[in-house]
Amino acid sequence: MAVKFASDEWARQFKDEVNRSSVYKSAAKGWKWTVGLVVEAEPDKNFPESLGVIMDLFDGTARDIKVGPASEAQQCDFVITAPYTRWKQVATKELDATKGMLQGKLKLKGDLPTIVRYTKASQEMTECTTRVPVEWPDEG
Amino acid sequence: MLKYADAEPSAFASMLGGLIEANVANRLEKRKDFETLAARVGIFVTDIDEGVTLEFQSGSLVVHNGLQPKRDITIRAEADTVMNLSNLKIGPFGMPVYYDEVGRGIALKLVRGRLRIEGLIGHLATLNTVTRIFSVK
Repeated sequence: MAVKFASDEWARQFKDEVNRSSVYKSAAKGWKWTVGLVVEAEPDKNFPESLGVIMDLFDGTARDIKVGPASEAQQCDFVITAPYTRWKQVATKELDATKGMLQGKLKLKGDLPTIVRYTKASQEMTECTTRVPVEWPDEG
Repeated sequence: MLKYADAEPSAFASMLGGLIEANVANRLEKRKDFETLAARVGIFVTDIDEGVTLEFQSGSLVVHNGLQPKRDITIRAEADTVMNLSNLKIGPFGMPVYYDEVGRGIALKLVRGRLRIEGLIGHLATLNTVTRIFSVK
């Protein structure tokens, strides 16, 4: 059953998907930094306020994933920022996250060599988001 | 050490420039390579139609948006492959490792024409130096 995007239930299912992924577990071995996703508001898409997804990731597991204020996500070690529509494109596989970052559609803040070293883990993390059935605020 | 030739560097230019700057700042062996390398290297990402030219000037780097003329080497590949080039391990004698999972993947792309390197003949040592500077391993 689809869950509302960026709801607590969505965060729980996203975390479960990450922890179910053997690919992520192996590719993210050694990862010990927090990641914040900032989803910027797009009122015309029925997404009126910016939100943050705060991810506590450690050594191949997701210890916690929660939805909170954008300001909290911005305090993470790595921060990826994009408007709501871009994140929707990523989660529906319309936009590849790696390409999005190289094109500046997703803005990354954090130590570049570290994130590049974990490219495979971040790609699998993106795959995990696509496995959560989502009810989008600008649809239906 | 790092300059951007364009007033508004593209996201790709900023990312590559930032990556090299961090690598060179944090790793002595990469700094040594950086200080000796003089070459113009183009990198073109085929699936987003974006390129940059890295102008290494023996201890400094100018990053240009797009492919500029007079390049010694030009690497053309998809985004994933370009990112994977940074994940090549560096083995004995400073040679990139092509026998592990990442290396085999890169070699296969080369064989299948999904990764093209222009100017390789005569610039193999330059390519290896660039790979070492670029690598995050």
